[in-house]
Amino acid sequence: MDRASRYKIRRTLGRVAFRAYCALSYIFLLSPMVVVIGTSLNGPKASTDASFQFPPENISLHWYARIPEAQIEALALSFALAGIVAVLACILGVPAALGLVRSNLPGKALISTVFRAPLQIPSIVTGIAFLQLFYLIGDLTGVYWQGTLFGLVLGHVFVATPYVVGTVTAVLQRFDMRLEEAALIHGASRWRAFRRVTLPVIMPGVYAGGLYAFMVSFGDVPIAIFLTAPGFVTYPVELFTALENDFDPSIMASASMVIFLCLILLLAVQKLVGLDTLLRTGGGGGR
Amino acid sequence: MRGSWKVLRAGLVAGSVVAASGAASFTAVAGEFDGVTLRVGTWGGSWKANMVELIVPKFEAMGGKIEFVTGSPQANFAKVITGRGKAPFDVMEVLDAQIGDAMESGYFQKVDLSKIPNKKYVDDYQYNENMVGSWHTQEVICYHVDKFAEQGIPVPKTYADLIHPKLAGKVSFPDINSGGGLANFTAINIAAGGDRDNVQPGLELINKMKVLKFWSRGGETLSQFESGDILAAVSNGGWCLRTRKAGVNVDSVHPVIGNGNVGVAKVGWLGILKSAEGKNVEAAHWFINEYLTEEFQLLFAVKSGIVPINKNAIARMHEDEVIRDILVLDQEKIANELRFDYTGINLSAWTDQWNRMVAK
Repeated sequence: MDRASRYKIRRTLGRVAFRAYCALSYIFLLSPMVVVIGTSLNGPKASTDASFQFPPENISLHWYARIPEAQIEALALSFALAGIVAVLACILGVPAALGLVRSNLPGKALISTVFRAPLQIPSIVTGIAFLQLFYLIGDLTGVYWQGTLFGLVLGHVFVATPYVVGTVTAVLQRFDMRLEEAALIHGASRWRAFRRVTLPVIMPGVYAGGLYAFMVSFGDVPIAIFLTAPGFVTYPVELFTALENDFDPSIMASASMVIFLCLILLLAVQKLVGLDTLLRTGGGGGR
Repeated sequence: MRGSWKVLRAGLVAGSVVAASGAASFTAVAGEFDGVTLRVGTWGGSWKANMVELIVPKFEAMGGKIEFVTGSPQANFAKVITGRGKAPFDVMEVLDAQIGDAMESGYFQKVDLSKIPNKKYVDDYQYNENMVGSWHTQEVICYHVDKFAEQGIPVPKTYADLIHPKLAGKVSFPDINSGGGLANFTAINIAAGGDRDNVQPGLELINKMKVLKFWSRGGETLSQFESGDILAAVSNGGWCLRTRKAGVNVDSVHPVIGNGNVGVAKVGWLGILKSAEGKNVEAAHWFINEYLTEEFQLLFAVKSGIVPINKNAIARMHEDEVIRDILVLDQEKIANELRFDYTGINLSAWTDQWNRMVAK
């Protein structure tokens, strides 16, 4: 066998191995979702049957009709909350990242550590701390924020902002300052230069940070469990408390519903922004 | 089996009619709780749904409104402590293991037992001036009848019987931090010769069992039985019941603990917070009293797999063959179950030892 043939075989084997690796990765990532969705589609054999069956034997949407109304209401609240948190985290995180990267503040390293601190604190501690803080503020002012949307937003923005700071900082560190200087030399104001030159370049970092912030808020249980109130419960908390006593496939149906909604959301993001943009946070390139 | 289930359901419907007629009698006091919003700390899901179905309509008929703060008693108690007694609820569910801490906190007010007339339907040991009992679970050894017979494994009578070569890696046991974890760990420790100051015997016995998984939610045992991963589980009898109703042929054993105790009870209580004031205190007493009604206790037991404490409700549970099989419904035997007084135990030390020896 000549060298060219050996090279061809090696290349073919390499491709096969790479594709097998990719396929296994996809299977690993997607199989839990396939099991959840499959189980949710298995209809009961009898009225008292609440067993889990995968693959489904009796395809039915029975369990989707059994999703408690409270979970649907909680889901709507969670989407709204996560959206608000993502926007606020970006509004706070972008200037913070700009300050950390570009300023010559004394103790910059310390400030940077402080911004990362919420990620080091266990979420349950954050939840308790916020609840205690809200009681203290309430005792002083007579306005209690626990059990309000405002209180929940505060708690979630606290833990979500570091993600925006992190992703935007990563992009800014690779930002070519000459672009902004060129805009200033050509007569643009600082704000205009930021808005027309810097912001488009750092947008991948902002989108990625915003998406992380959304996910952190949407999936949070430990903080929300302390800050929610009657009729004001987030989806993960509703599901978590229900799971303590219930274990039937309607839980799977509920989870499948969220998977579908998240897929729709990702498709919308893809359409509006492009998912590849979100992945280019380290590249420093704009759209 | 299905026939008896229908009988019980019919009984429940009849009970609801009685409840509805009871509700009619409440119209006589319509307006008694006008403008009162009672806040209840309880579990979510079907647990809360039971109250929404039977108790809430009655309260609303009297002009009030009930709001639920859902979460485990541990999470809700943490809210009470964090708020230094300013709880986001007036009345809350408390587990037996929390009673000591709850009383020590000083955040609970005395219950006026004269306002709980339904206490006459429960045993004396199930209420006091601090808290009123609300339900209990029976912690059992749930085993797969067919697989045990096929493999010639003797039906267990004690926890130690789960140490069997054919059961190695086929047993599920609750994690100490799970809902039934503490009750079962306490029971196995006492059965193994340990006590509140020495939990080593219990830990050693658990290690010898070769447990497949320490579950954190009882529902896990149901899917483990369905998938064939386990042949036996230590769990709440309610999960054993649900497993049987899901089509797996399981049965329960109420383990011999020793000192005359057979079976293990985990007890739920209701307490009124000091932060409850004015009409909310009255409403909290009304709520506790309603919790003890035959109709609610029965509905609750059937739907959530717990055991009522209302004697009439227990009697009606006999109508269901599966419930009769899995749970103990005889009053004397119920009174004989292990009810551990957790006051003063060093839970941190227990958990540390558990983490070192078991949760490796």
